[in-house]
This record gives sequence, structure tokens and C-alpha cells, in this order.
Amino acid sequence: MLQLLADGLIVGSVIALGAVGLTLTYSILRFANFGQGEFMTWGAYLAVSALSFVLAMTGGGVMEPIGPFSFGWQLIAAMIMAATLTALLALLLDWLLFRRLRHGNAITLVIASFGAALALRNLVQFLWGTLPEYYTREIQISLRLVPRDVMGGLRITPDQMLVIAMTMIVVIGLHLLLTRTTLGRAMRATALNPALARVAGVDVNAVVRATWIIGAALAAIAGVFAGIVGQIRPMLGFDLLLPLFAAAILGGIGSVWGAVLGGFIVGLAESFSVPIFGAEYRAATAFLVLIAILLLRPTGLFGEKP
Amino acid sequence: MIPALEFNAIEGGYEPGLPILRGASLTVMPGEIVALLGPNGAGKSTMVKAAAGLVPIWVGTVRLNGRDITATPAHRMVHEGLGFVPQTENVFTNLSVLENLLLAAALVPKARRGSLDRVFALFPDLDRLRKLAAGRLSGGQRQMLAVARALIASPSVLMLDEPSAGLSPKLVGVVFERLRAVRDAGVTILLVEQNVKAALAIADRAAVLVEGRERLVGRATDLADDRRLASLYLGGGLEEA
Repeated sequence: MLQLLADGLIVGSVIALGAVGLTLTYSILRFANFGQGEFMTWGAYLAVSALSFVLAMTGGGVMEPIGPFSFGWQLIAAMIMAATLTALLALLLDWLLFRRLRHGNAITLVIASFGAALALRNLVQFLWGTLPEYYTREIQISLRLVPRDVMGGLRITPDQMLVIAMTMIVVIGLHLLLTRTTLGRAMRATALNPALARVAGVDVNAVVRATWIIGAALAAIAGVFAGIVGQIRPMLGFDLLLPLFAAAILGGIGSVWGAVLGGFIVGLAESFSVPIFGAEYRAATAFLVLIAILLLRPTGLFGEKP
Repeated sequence: MIPALEFNAIEGGYEPGLPILRGASLTVMPGEIVALLGPNGAGKSTMVKAAAGLVPIWVGTVRLNGRDITATPAHRMVHEGLGFVPQTENVFTNLSVLENLLLAAALVPKARRGSLDRVFALFPDLDRLRKLAAGRLSGGQRQMLAVARALIASPSVLMLDEPSAGLSPKLVGVVFERLRAVRDAGVTILLVEQNVKAALAIADRAAVLVEGRERLVGRATDLADDRRLASLYLGGGLEEA
């Protein structure tokens, strides 16, 4: 029981970060970006290359782990570089593709994002190959936090605990950005009413750029977290796309805390479904959650009725 | 004297080939309150939206204190000194009252700290409600916040699109009284209104727009008794009065 809870929170952390980026993009750019999952994949792979670069530059080529974790400071540096590069990739994609379609139909943008996702996924396979990658080959022994006779016990690795904690720190940071800074208020204002935002003096194009940067950077961090607790594969982001949408819709499109809560609920639902339906049906759980939300509360937990 | 705001034979609209404004001209002098009147569909709202940069102008110019602002992007208008209060959805309902004002203050460098105190002095109710979400304000309070938001940037000209819409007659009186105070503080006002009586009571001059062109311009006190005004509203021409 406790183990399923922990597993759900770990998966939920990755989903939550990706879903926050998705919900931000949707509320400000006004289209469902099917490329969000690919930003996660690109973030994870760019961190692989950035890590090789950092290790080569610092000499030795060996990463000394920090404390109980399986990785050293070099991976943190690589993650920051990957988030920056993924944000630049998103800006490039906007400049090449979405900017030209912004004044048209939202469906056009959605279909364009499908195409972009397909191109990005294949480009990953072309550049990095199809074999799984890892940030470190260090073997981490999970810690027994709760004995087996208490609710089935709980074992968790320091890396997994760090991913959950870091997710909460990133989300709180984003919350402070949105509520305490001019950029955050401008983003919320633009999400509600772009025309009024322009009249009030908001440079909506700058807000759009900031949204791409933040959404892509969050996706990249989520991708790196997924790589830390699992393996890095070209389908990493694609496989998480449905849970991302389920989380964003469950939370209520446009709500950051809703997306976070939705991410954890989808993660927990996937985890708790394993002993009931078997691991092979785990991925289908997100489908069930999505269908249930659309039937029972289409506006999501924190969404406003139109 | 250089006009505070000057529309010079402007043509424009939402869709190319479908003009709403057909050569409209209007001059607003510094310190004036000018009411822009006219029947539904005359192009009144489109005219102020065009000046605010929200509707394309194809032909003609708009000048603010002598500077050509025809091609200035909407988000730069507050920096030029032109404030605009739209008719509906004119506050950010997902932001608190204070956040609405802080956003406006932060975006315009010339809006110093004192501007917040200044608008709170003009609209004391908002000071009391500063932590409340703007979406929970009453119609009158929202209108006050919308005007306060526009005033934060210290505009030289303020354009308002039907500030009386949806308000009770008593609240209309309160809002218009505040607008008079805004003008007394040195802000020139261009007011689009359907409430002709209330608008003419507060305005110095008025213009009647019909089918995208000004048809009648004069002193508000004169127009209040002018039978041609009713004729234009009823679809007739000037010659029928």
C-alpha cells in the first residue's frame, strides 16, 4: 500500500511538471500542444549530451555522486543547460511554425503540434539512436523507510525522494512567479483576456515567448527527472502524453495547482491499478481517468464553468 | 493649441473590405470631455478601439498631442499617454483589485508609487477592497477599477467605451461624477455613450457618429435641445429635422 503510494508520487511528479507546462501553454497560447511530451524527451536527451560535455570539460569524465544520490553536480549543471536549450528549441519552433498559424483556427495549431511532435521524435532517434540511455550506471540501493509488516512496507531510493521534493520546489517557485512578479501577473492577465492585457500595456508577444520558455523548461526538467528514476528512451515523452493531458484536464485547464494535483492523482491511479489489473494495463489507467473526468466534471477540479 | 486627440478622416474595420469607419474625423481639445454618440452600429466603439490600436486603421491618421499614433501597437499606447477602458470585460477578474493596479503600474515606468495612492484617493472603495478578486466586484465597483487601472499610467487622454452600460441610474451618476473629477485633475476624456442624457450632462462637446462618419458636432448644451440628434438616432438625416 505505502509502496504503491510512493511509486504513484514519483510517476506523478514527472506527470505534474509536464502537465503544468501543458496547462500554461493551453491557457495563454490557446491550443493543446501535442509537442509537450517531445520537449520532455528532448530535455532528457539534451541533458545526456550536456552531461558528456560537462564531464569532458571538467576532466576525468567521471561523475562523483553527491551524498546518497546516484549523480553529481555535473548532472544538475547538465539539467540547467538542457532546460535552456529546450526553451530555445520551443522558441525556434514557435518562430518557424506556430507564430505563422496563431491568428488562424486553434485546430490548425493542434494539428501543427502533432506534426512538430512527430518530427521532433524522429529527430531524437536520428541524433541519439533508439537504445536506452542513462545518466549514471551507479547502482542505488533503496532505503527501507517503513518495515514490511506496516502496510506492506516502503522502500525508496534517495534519487526518487529528491525527484518528489524537487518537483514541489519547482512548482512553488512557479506559483511565486505567477503571483508575485509582473511577468506572472501579465501571464495571468493574458490568459484571461489578451485584448485587455494589450490595452493595459502588456506586450503579449513577450508573454507568449515567456510561456514557451517556462513550459519547455519545465518539460525538460520533467524529462531529466524521468531519466533519473528510469531510462531515457525516444518514446519517453510520447508515452507520457496521455497522462499529461489527463492531469491537465483533471486539474482544470489553466490551473497550475490543478495540473499538479491532477499529475499526482493520475500517477497514483496508475500505481494503484497495477495490483488490480496488472502492470500491462497500467498505461490504460490514464485513459480511464480522462474518460471519467470528461463524463463527470468536464471543467476539471479547479476549472471554471464557461 | 494642439488637440489632445485628433482623428483625421479614418477608415478601418475588423475585416478587410468591410469598413466600419468611413472617413470619421473628430478633434478633442486638452481638458475637454467629449461625448461620442450615435445609434447602434454607427462605429462609436470601433472608433475608440481603432485609436487604442485594437482595430486596424486603413486610411487616415490618429494624433495624440500632435504625435501620429496610427501605427503604434496597442500595448505601447499607455506609454504614449492614451488610456482606454473597454465596455465589457474591462478588469482582470482572476487578479485581485490590487494586482490589477500593480500590473498596470509595473508596466509603465512613469507610473510611480504615488499613482497608486492617487487612484485610491479618487476611488476610496477600491482601497477597502484591494485584496478582493476583481471577479467578485459589483458592476459599479468593476467600472471604478477599470477607470483606476487606466489612470494608474497617468494618461493625458482617457477613452471610455460606454462606462454606464449595465449600471443603475444612481451608479451612473456616481461613475460620471468621478469622471468629472478625473477631468478636473487634468485628464482629457473621450466618452462613447448610449446614455445620451447622462453623457450630454457631463460633456463639454459631443459628436454624433452615423454609419462610420461624424454627422453632427457641437456644444453638449446645444445638442441636448437639438431635434436633429433624435432624427439621427431614428435613422433619419439632418435635413429631416
